[in-house]
This record gives sequence, structure tokens and C-alpha cells, in this order.
Amino acid sequence: RESLTAGLASRLGPGVFLGGFCGWFWNNGHNMWGCVHFTCRKSLATQVDMNRGVEEERERIPMSQRPEWADIRPVPQDDGPNPVVPITPMSSAKPWITSEPYTWRMNDPHAHFNSLKKSFFSIQGITLFLAVNVKTIGSSVDAYKAEVWQFRRLILDALNVDLHEELHFVDQITKDNSKNYQIWHHRRWVAEKLGTQIASKELEFTREIFSQDAKNYHAWSHRQWVLQALGGWENELAYCDELLEDDIFNNSAWNQRYFVVTRSPLLGGLEVMRDSEVAYAIKAILAKPENESPWRYLRGLYKNNVNSLVNDPRVASVCLDVLLDKRDCVHALNMVLDLLSHHHQPSNELKDAVDAVSPDPKPSDSNFAERVCSILQLVDPIRASYWRWRKTSMPAQD
Amino acid sequence: MEEQEYWESDPESLVFDRDRHIYYLLMMYQLLPSPYQGQEINRLTLAYFVISGLDILRALDRIDKEAVINWVLSLQAHPRNDSTLEKGQFYGFHGSRSSQFQSNNNGAAILNGSHLASTYCALAILKTVGYDLSLIDSELLLKSMKDLQQPDGCFMPIHTGGETDLRFVFCAAAICSMMGNWSGMDREKAKEYIVNCQSYDGGFGLIPGSESHGVCFLQIFVTLMDGNSFSVAGGATYCAVASLKLMGFIEEDLLSKKASCHIINVPLLLDWSLQKQAQDGGFQGRANNQLIRVMPFGLEEFYGS
Repeated sequence: RESLTAGLASRLGPGVFLGGFCGWFWNNGHNMWGCVHFTCRKSLATQVDMNRGVEEERERIPMSQRPEWADIRPVPQDDGPNPVVPITPMSSAKPWITSEPYTWRMNDPHAHFNSLKKSFFSIQGITLFLAVNVKTIGSSVDAYKAEVWQFRRLILDALNVDLHEELHFVDQITKDNSKNYQIWHHRRWVAEKLGTQIASKELEFTREIFSQDAKNYHAWSHRQWVLQALGGWENELAYCDELLEDDIFNNSAWNQRYFVVTRSPLLGGLEVMRDSEVAYAIKAILAKPENESPWRYLRGLYKNNVNSLVNDPRVASVCLDVLLDKRDCVHALNMVLDLLSHHHQPSNELKDAVDAVSPDPKPSDSNFAERVCSILQLVDPIRASYWRWRKTSMPAQD
Repeated sequence: MEEQEYWESDPESLVFDRDRHIYYLLMMYQLLPSPYQGQEINRLTLAYFVISGLDILRALDRIDKEAVINWVLSLQAHPRNDSTLEKGQFYGFHGSRSSQFQSNNNGAAILNGSHLASTYCALAILKTVGYDLSLIDSELLLKSMKDLQQPDGCFMPIHTGGETDLRFVFCAAAICSMMGNWSGMDREKAKEYIVNCQSYDGGFGLIPGSESHGVCFLQIFVTLMDGNSFSVAGGATYCAVASLKLMGFIEEDLLSKKASCHIINVPLLLDWSLQKQAQDGGFQGRANNQLIRVMPFGLEEFYGS
């Protein structure tokens, strides 16, 4: 029985076979469920192979001309009498002149999908959807439709498909559409079902994405979710080290570092880690003082504990070092301002170093904090109004 | 923030060609070019861009407001009848026809793909063109919207499930604000979620722990559209601050009060957001990221006067 049906499936093409088979199945009861399952999986595998390369050529043939879709009637979309912002069909040579934006729908997966959706809640519909779903998701235009993924999940559940295969299928689509919310959401769904066993694979996958785009926000969200839900914290701080060695300006990596330091169950929390992390941030600041990220990170290490920030001599010291070097000093001056606003008493050395970077040879403010603001107005003119405002909000100094 | 001293270009070349912008928007209103096909599911959002753009340019008289109202209302989700009101389903607006189905004669269930972001855009469009929002059945919309709120205060965009993040908290807050009715969400819980999204650097991430991002209003919609060509994360900071303001947790003169009075760290947020402007005047969405060439639409609201 199994080999007969499998043979039929490969000869007729999965869609036609399933279409015909479902009618037969409905009449013959559930003892053939295993066969349907096998056929669907085979068609899934076929489609996955096709999606990898061969499918690209097939995509140029309109769906209405493909034999395996012959039994499905396309349903055009009815936009109503006066639709706003209609969208030009892709095949049109003169997009501004066409007056029938939806004639293309007769030849496109959406219309077939519409047709199938209407009968979704029948068993015939369910088995047809797997083949359809795979095909439609292969085209990136459809990958944005949340409902396509939703249907896929319902089918995957109903047919109890091996989710390792599914993850493999999603891998390639994710790489091609790495900023698509639906795909990452679907990935999370699959990973959650697979559980902790899949943690290292997911960390590896996001690592691959970062090798192409080190700041992909979706991938970072996914990675954070994996760590919290499935584990794998062991090498995360080391991974942040790696990324920051590669690009000390990578703010996503700094953010991840903070995430690990504050949330990893293996590291002991912020209090324990603070000292070594302050040293790390300072080293990064001295390497590139114009880099906003380590300055923010340093402040973040003293979150809710600003007095400790003010009293840590290393903080004032790094400001001094940057100012003495006469390198990009905007962030350093901003930090000095923060220290002063929390009643830090600046050393004379710091005051001299600040005055030395002033473009104005005769600064008029006698108040040190106001002098810092005036200098910032000159060295960071895009934010001149902000530094002027900061001047008015400083507590009494000197 | 009106200083122009940092603009080095010849002021003569900086004239705003209003008519050209209006013409462009009207072209889009009539027909979008084919590369937008991937965004078909988000047509309501695209319509919102066009209509609000025309509104800002005071050119709404160029479009047929009745037609717009009818089209938007046709995208509203309705239960088939009172008895089929299904618990857990959200009765908002669909983004386009492609997620909306007419009643099926053989009795199969109607698929409800209405979406929180589409609902926000729909109501915003209706309000912009002068439709009386009290004519909309707010009870059903808001009651079903509350079902989308998660235990941590965040919102899901559709009842069948989806990613949850600050964008949808903003949509929910804006919807309640426009309808003048806060029964659609638990504001305290939403506030807690937002507060948890403030990063160590003062900005807000889309979810707690995420990198802080996004002062620009337009960035939210870029990501609501899920456009591949744009970078990411959706004006998270705008969503956070705007939501808190709409819900009544932030006052007008928040910079004049002491920082300790606020539920979020305002001075740090201010410092972070201002650092996102580059020397040439453009903005970056995240620290050390490339500049985004969009109009910082929400910044004025963000900073007040």
C-alpha cells in the first residue's frame, strides 16, 4: 500500500495526488492516516529540495499552468469599489498606466491560497495545505503573511511532522529574509517545541547570521530568548568578547554583554561582575574614546547606584586620561558633567585638563560645571542647545 | 530646538517643495508601484502614510474622503452574528482584503485576521478624514483587544499568536486614546512592561533586554510593514514614550521636575536620544549605527516645544 501510494505521488506530483487521494481518504476512513502522513512528508521533502534551487525556475511558470494545481480554482481578490492605494501587478511594463491591478492574481499563489483557505476546516483541506504552504512560503512575497505561517503551524501540528526538518527548511528562508518578523516568530515556535536539545543549534544559527550582519536586531532578540528559555549561557560572555574584538563599536554586542552580565545564572549577577566589567569598559574607552557604547556601558554598570559611580576613582581617572590625550573628548566631558551633577569634587588636574581642551582661549564662566557646558557647546555644536540647557540645570558648584 | 547654525548648505537650496510632495502622495494614493506587492497585507498602513502625509501638507481636499471611509470600514472584522462571537478573537481591522474573508455558504468558519497595527492605522485614517469614531462599536473592539494583552503587560498583534513587543503596546494605547476609552487595556501592566524595556543606556528596546532603539516615529511603521530593506526594530523609544504619555503616566513639563519623580530615567533617556543625531543633522536608530534617511516625524512630539 505505502509503496503504491508513494509511487503515485511521485508520478503525478504531490498536489494532484493529494487532491485526489483526499477524496478517497475521506470515504475510506482513518486506517489510511499513516499513508497520508507518509505522502505528505514525502511531498514536503520534495518541496524542500525544490525550494533549494530547482523551485526558482519553476516559479516563473504561473501556478494556473502547473499540472499539479489543475484541480484548484483560483479565487481573485475582491478589493471593493474604490480601493485606496492599490498595488501594481509585477508583470506590468508601465506601472502607472495599468487600470487592472489584480488580473495577475489569477496566476498567482495568493489566489490559490485563498481558495484553499475557504475549505481549510475540512480534512481534505488540511492535507492539501502542507504542499501548498511549502510552495507559497518558497516565494518571498508570501513570507510576510502571518497567516501563511500560522496555517503552516496548524498543519505541522496536525501531521506531527519532524520539527528538525522544519527547522532546516526555515534556516534557508531566514537567511534570505533575515529581517522578517513572521519568520523569526515561526522559528521560535519550532525551537520551543524542540526544547533545550536545540539550544546550541540556535546559538550557532544566530552566530551565522551575525557573521553577515552583526547587528541584526531579530537575531539578537532570538538569541536572548534562546538563552533564557533553552539555556546555553556557558560561552556567551566569551562570544561578546569575540564580537567586540572584531568591532569595538558594535553596540549590539555591548548590549548583549550587559544582558549576560546581569542575567546569566552562571556569573553571579551585576554586583559580582561590576569590578571586572568596569575595567573592561575603561580599556575600550581608552582604545576609542569617541565610541559612545563603552561610556554608556560604564554608566550602566552603576545603574541605580550613581553614588558608587561618582566615588569610583577609575571613572574620573578615565575622563582625565582622555582629556590629557586631547582626543575626541565629547563623551569624556559629558561624563565629567554627570559626575559634577552628583556633587563630585573635581581635582585641579581634571580642571586643568578640561580647560586645556577648550577652543575658547578666554573662557568666561567662573563656575567649573558651566565651563564644561560652554566647551561642549563649542566642540559638539549639533547639541549646542542641549549643553546650554544642561548649564541651567547643574547644581551649584565650585 | 530651532537653531540652524550647524546647517552649512546654502539656505536657498533648502526650500520645501510642497506641491511636489503632494503630487507624489497623490500618485501613491492612486496606485503603488509593483515592488510594494510584498506589503499587500499592510495596505491600510500604506494608506495611513499617504493620508497622514496629505493631512500634514493640508491637501486632504484632493482625495475622496467618503471613498476612504468606506474602504477602511469595509476592512473591519465583524462576527457573523452575536452567537458566533468567539472568545479570544480580536475584532479590529484587517490590513487588506487578503486576510479577510466573506461569509462562507457551506458553513465553514470565517477566518479573522484582523491586526492591532492595522486597527491603529484604520482609526487614525478615519480620524484624520473627519469620521466620527463614536459610530464604531468600541465595546466589541476594545473588549476583544484586551484579550490580546499578555500577563507581562505586552500585546500580541493578532489573536492567533505572533511576536509581542512595544510596537503593539503603542498601537493599543493609541487605539484606546483615539476611542477615548481605556477599557481595552490594563494600563498599569502596560506601564510596567514599558519601564522594563528601558535599557541601561537610557533608550528603550522593543522587549526587555533588547538593545535600545529608535526615536523616529516612521521607524515604527517601517517595521510594521516588515520591510526587508530597512533596518529593524521599530522606533522602540518612540513607542515607549508615546505610550506612557497617552496613558497619562508622563506629564507635559517632565524636564522641569526632579528625575526621581519619574517612572523612567528621563535625563538618561534625553542624553541618549540627543546623541543619536549626527553632525550632518541625520539620525541613527542605535548607537554607532548607520544614519537613517527618514523624516524624524516624532521628534517634535518627543521633545515637546
